[in-house]
Amino acid sequence: MIELKNVCKSYGLTKALKDVSFSVKKGEIIGFVGPNGAGKSTAMKIITTFTAPTSGTVSVGGYNVMSDPLEVRELIGYLPERVPLYSDMLVREYLEFIGEARHLNGRFKTRFDWVVDACGLESVLERKIDVLSKGYKQRTCLAQALIHDPEVLILDEPTSGLDPLQIIGIRNLVKNLAHDKTIILSTHILPEVSTVADRILVINDGQIVADGSFGNLIKTVTDLSVIYLAVQCAKKEFQTALSDAGDIESIEIDSATPRGITGAHLYHAPDRDILPVLNKIIRKNNWLVVELVPERLSLEESFIRLTQSHAKTTQKSKKLEVTGPREGGAA
Amino acid sequence: MKDIAVIFRREFRAYFYSPIAYVFSIIFIILNGGLYMFHFFLLGNADMRSFFAVLPLILGLIFIPAISMRLWSEENKLGTVELLLTLPMRTEHIVLGKFFASFVFYLIALAGTLTIPLLLLILGNPDMGPVVGGYFGAVLIGAFFLSIGIFISGFFSDQIVSLIITSLACGFIVLIGWGYVPMVLDGWIPGLGTFLYDYVGVTRHFNDIERGVIDIRSIVYFMSFSALFLYLNAKALERRKY
Repeated sequence: MIELKNVCKSYGLTKALKDVSFSVKKGEIIGFVGPNGAGKSTAMKIITTFTAPTSGTVSVGGYNVMSDPLEVRELIGYLPERVPLYSDMLVREYLEFIGEARHLNGRFKTRFDWVVDACGLESVLERKIDVLSKGYKQRTCLAQALIHDPEVLILDEPTSGLDPLQIIGIRNLVKNLAHDKTIILSTHILPEVSTVADRILVINDGQIVADGSFGNLIKTVTDLSVIYLAVQCAKKEFQTALSDAGDIESIEIDSATPRGITGAHLYHAPDRDILPVLNKIIRKNNWLVVELVPERLSLEESFIRLTQSHAKTTQKSKKLEVTGPREGGAA
Repeated sequence: MKDIAVIFRREFRAYFYSPIAYVFSIIFIILNGGLYMFHFFLLGNADMRSFFAVLPLILGLIFIPAISMRLWSEENKLGTVELLLTLPMRTEHIVLGKFFASFVFYLIALAGTLTIPLLLLILGNPDMGPVVGGYFGAVLIGAFFLSIGIFISGFFSDQIVSLIITSLACGFIVLIGWGYVPMVLDGWIPGLGTFLYDYVGVTRHFNDIERGVIDIRSIVYFMSFSALFLYLNAKALERRKY
């Protein structure tokens, strides 16, 4: 449905996109993730024909964005990051204008009723856009993107500035639309898309650094598994007992445990099961186990790793270098 | 064609969302009427020559830039330009829709000054040829300046910057045909002043029409320059693609 081939885009000397290629199948929901300034919006502006790529080709539904922009625009519903609204218009007037501009004609009434209902705008229809809250503005703009029942939806940070309840609302709306539409959803908050998106594209510094389902992405960022173990014993005893256990790659003592209890993150290769070894050691020393948890990287942490570890791809060794306290540890 | 109408309706209505439209029209009519009445009582002639003599300068320096400044600058500022240029419409049609909205608004303000010829008809027996010619010229010059204004506003997201630059550009085009200005320029670079007066300056063409001499060359001058700037505006907006 959407295809980018070797797309580059430069603004003067800054290169916003460097040789980006990916394709999106019909009906897929893509989470487009990356830190601010990574090139998400630029890529979306190119797909929606607002800006043109410096080089490379982009096609949507078989139409080239450069040679057939009007056909591409018919297919796309676009929610830009800046939430473009005419502040002097009423919500109803604004949607009527978009409906006319999108040539809905006879279909307008049914589509209008549908978007007003789907975006929850009944109560503000006769209000000036200027006085709406951020959430309603965002929803009015979303209604604009949906009114012509587009095959492709491009949503640039649709949830920024919304409260958690509204974020869930938008997420559900996207999920409901999912079955027959191709959706690209950008965000700089990974957890937001991890539940909705079929596939996640991570972009950093103008390049696609990771592409795959959420689970696969997590695997690519970490090649060690972690177990958190806390027992009732002295720190020294703990260290000497565990130091000769095979398969444990490294031990990171948790400094925030209460007195008399020693806790540590134990790193091991994912294909090795260290639980039997641990069990043996615990029984041998007759420790009282306070906590034993297999840990996962938090979403935020994996996002940071995805965008940062790839920034220095030359550094091949991906050994985990743990600095901060880990999820589920001291807390 | 339908697209032009859709954009036209929105733009035209947008002029009346704020009180600016009313304030603008009233000031335009009062200023023009006031300036004219001053001469009218002084000379006691039933003609509108003094009205049309200052009209290009007033239009070029203040009024046209004030109408045209918001056309694209506001869109750039609100970010709605991104919405507008991703609608399934040709950029040329959007530009034309905006242009006609501002043009019709200008015509309405201009129509407000029709009280002057009415007054002349009641008080005396004016020669209507120059009056009709003058209004015809004012319509053409308005279209020309508006096309310059819309072209300039496409580059800026600050309305005041658009206003000032349009005002400078239109002011230059008026003054280049104004009395001694071409002579002074000729003194600096021989031939330049005359060249600009002949080919760029608006005053000569306006004066021809205002005298009642409707020369096809003058009409072509106004129409072709308006079309050129509107075309450039559409191209400049699409140019952000490269």
